[in-house]
Amino acid sequence: MASKLSPIFRYKVKGKSMEPHLKEGSNVYISRLAYLFVDPEPNEIIALNHPTENIPVIKRVKHITDEGHIFVVGDNSKHSTDSRHYGPVKREHVIGKVMLK
Amino acid sequence: MKLFETISNFIDAGEIYAHCDLFCGVYDPAQARIEAQSVYNSAKIYQNSNDEVERQRAIAIKEERAELVKHHLWVLWTDYFKPKHAEEFDNLHDLFWKATKAAGDAKKSVDPAESQKLIDLIDDIGEMFAKTKDDYNYNAIKKNMEGQAK
Repeated sequence: MASKLSPIFRYKVKGKSMEPHLKEGSNVYISRLAYLFVDPEPNEIIALNHPTENIPVIKRVKHITDEGHIFVVGDNSKHSTDSRHYGPVKREHVIGKVMLK
Repeated sequence: MKLFETISNFIDAGEIYAHCDLFCGVYDPAQARIEAQSVYNSAKIYQNSNDEVERQRAIAIKEERAELVKHHLWVLWTDYFKPKHAEEFDNLHDLFWKATKAAGDAKKSVDPAESQKLIDLIDDIGEMFAKTKDDYNYNAIKKNMEGQAK
């Protein structure tokens, strides 16, 4: 497992909610420092901790709410569970930004 | 190579979910109904066959399918249906309990009448399910399955 100190996390994508952009089984590299000084912006792909389940998930930022929370949606929206179901997520749930795939 | 491996281990964070197979919200009593129809048809095949191998296969398949019925019922019962549904349908828990028991009875028996009892209970669940979901037509599934009954 990755060191908690690592500025980069590499994950293997499981599931199809981000296809065709991120294919199931492909690797993604997450910058954990990308949002140290700036906020996520619409259209960026982010890794976040699921707000109720203890698992990391990957989604695209749709918009930032007035409260500063992040509304995320999977690209393949028919095969995705996201903010449409669990609501906007708080900043503290964000793991980082997808840099490379 | 060693350095590469060290870096690789340092950054490897496992799997990340872009999921549709978890919390995907897809539920359908058709799964239980299809397997229950298999149970019924297997019991019929058993009754109508003189071939000992075929009869043994019918029993094996019937038992396997009855177990799948239980699984699909439990997914609906414990994952799909919520406390608000139990308030709306006061026979919900009783119905699932009876249907699960009926799946056990149909598993043990080679009498198609036992399988039919199971099917009838699943149909009751299917109709209850349809009341909780807009534009869901359980009767279509029932009709398709009746068309395939032995």
